[in-house]
Amino acid sequence: MAFPDVKLARRPLHFIYLCDCSGSMGGSKMQSLNQAIRQSLPAMADVARDNPEAHMLVRAVAFSDHARWHIANPTPVEELEHSWRDLEARGLTAMGEAMSLVAQALRTPPMEQRALPPVLVLISDGAPTDDYFGGLQTLLHEPWARKAVRLSIAIGHDANLEDLQKFIGPEPSTANAGEHSAMRPLQANDARTLARYIKWASTAVVSAVSRPVSEIGSDRAPSSATNVPMPDLPPTLMDPIDMSQTVW
Amino acid sequence: MLPNGATIECTNLSSSIQVKRLLGAGGQGEVYEVSFAGEALAAKWYFPKIASSDIGLAERLRDSIRFSSPSAAFLWPISLLEPSLNSCSSLNIPSGSFGYLMAIRPPNYLGAIEHSAARISITLRSIVRACFYLAEAFDALHSKGLCYKDISLGNLFLKPETGDILICDNDNVEENGKNRGLALGTAGFMAPEVLMGKAKPSADSDLFSMAVLMFHLLTRSDPFKGKMEMEIRCLDEPAKRRLYGEDPVFIFDPIDERNRPDPDEHRAALLTWPIYPERLQRLFQRTFGPGMFNPSTRVRTGQWCEALAACLDSRLICPHCGQEVFADAGKSTQCWACGGLIDPPARLTTGHYTLLAQPDNELHPHHLNPLATERIDAPIGRIESHPSNPKMLGLLNLSPHTWTAQLTNGQSADIAPGQRCNLAQMSEIKTHLGNVALER
Repeated sequence: MAFPDVKLARRPLHFIYLCDCSGSMGGSKMQSLNQAIRQSLPAMADVARDNPEAHMLVRAVAFSDHARWHIANPTPVEELEHSWRDLEARGLTAMGEAMSLVAQALRTPPMEQRALPPVLVLISDGAPTDDYFGGLQTLLHEPWARKAVRLSIAIGHDANLEDLQKFIGPEPSTANAGEHSAMRPLQANDARTLARYIKWASTAVVSAVSRPVSEIGSDRAPSSATNVPMPDLPPTLMDPIDMSQTVW
Repeated sequence: MLPNGATIECTNLSSSIQVKRLLGAGGQGEVYEVSFAGEALAAKWYFPKIASSDIGLAERLRDSIRFSSPSAAFLWPISLLEPSLNSCSSLNIPSGSFGYLMAIRPPNYLGAIEHSAARISITLRSIVRACFYLAEAFDALHSKGLCYKDISLGNLFLKPETGDILICDNDNVEENGKNRGLALGTAGFMAPEVLMGKAKPSADSDLFSMAVLMFHLLTRSDPFKGKMEMEIRCLDEPAKRRLYGEDPVFIFDPIDERNRPDPDEHRAALLTWPIYPERLQRLFQRTFGPGMFNPSTRVRTGQWCEALAACLDSRLICPHCGQEVFADAGKSTQCWACGGLIDPPARLTTGHYTLLAQPDNELHPHHLNPLATERIDAPIGRIESHPSNPKMLGLLNLSPHTWTAQLTNGQSADIAPGQRCNLAQMSEIKTHLGNVALER
């Protein structure tokens, strides 16, 4: 005697990393990025377990001279925990091509008819060397890309924040103040901060997409103006004892 | 936020707490295993942003601590943790940070999410018991004038073997009517009037959320995801608002068929719903029908307890396939699992109640005393099958009193505490609370 063999229905939640693999990312930056992603996978797997209504599937695009799929098949995060291949840095910054590649993946097919909002995370340390704007237009032409939560992480001070902002959407201003999704690119200047932002993007943000934990209201109705209410950014606590930060 | 091994002095405690390790983190803060005065406990520590933005939080927690836990089903705050200035500076904790102390959740309690994801093995008996305990817990909470406000799958834990529950994350609990807190609830569990901003959370909205949670437990399905959910391409916030707030339709609403479950996507609901007695199904139809927009017509905790206890009383084991089946009163039942027809089995009757004499079914004080509130945690008797002959059933005396059984051959026999009376030979049993007859 046992409960019938059924489980809660779920929708796909596509999580896609778009990673700058240009020459300037070489050395400690690429090492830190690989480490940050690898270390975030267990926590991401926990979030997947805690949200049975979401079927979390991870992919990654690497862009340098051209853009290619680093992980082409939507992969359950539990599988990825043991099989993350390190990204390597060499070449230019074909960010526009990366946009077009992701656009293709968000068309139906192969995109499912019904899903949760995808999460796209763009990570870059420098300016695009191809037609970024054209690629971005191609991406944002896709309905699933428009519905996606789009984040960007700038590594170091040479990243082009304006371009990274365009990926996300309109800059936060007094006009859209209070809208949860109005965000800026996250600035990561050291390994620890990068790790923290990657962890936040792959856990807190994913949780918000699959099942908002708690709606926090004030005197007005829960906000319907935004597509996904963004969780608060991770607390940034400087640890003065830690000397192992790699600063770029 | 808190380093392992750190010792934190708290201004309001007699001794310091020692941080052992991080147990988990949520949207509001982190939970650590700590040691306090030699005892292993848990501490929730709020993120600085929450501590400063949720102004009434500390006050609410103080009130909850003062009110004390409504029942053992709640993992309740024991004491606030207000770190001393000394501790704050030496451990780099921002000033204004605080947390609270609570019991540590026993390891044999698993998340209700594990059940929804079908990662645990559990019986129908246990899951119905869990629903009973949930209603009982809310009854205790509401009787204290409090409301939970944010019940969802994530805050419920259960022991699969028995159905015992633990309700965690009691930080949003508040006196009914006082809305100092910011939390409104979790989409999918929030009552429509709360989701749409027309009303603040209350005991009435708790009744809605509790019913949603029970539906999840009994069916591993969302009560509002049927055809209407299939029509949604991207299930984002605005789509959830429409599905759960603007036009919510129960998938088994007797009149409105717009949201019937899809045979492929919503298989779980279609398979599990027919398992449960009509009496129980009607409670869901009422809460999600008239009760959807009229909070005062929602089914109350007492009615849920009565129906769930009655459901357990109607439980039998299918003689063809061994599955648990909830029988219809009096007539033959068709097994939901194998389709086989089951003749009505022997039953114990007390004059007020009837319960089927099947293995693991229990006799409770309320069966013999109609004035007593239903409880399932202190049975006075239990039906057991003989270890070497499963077809032989006996009534086990779980009470401290000796019972007298009237046998079918006219003789009587004493059934001491811990002894069993063979049901095949029994016609009636005189317990310390009243008589129980066996009807075939």
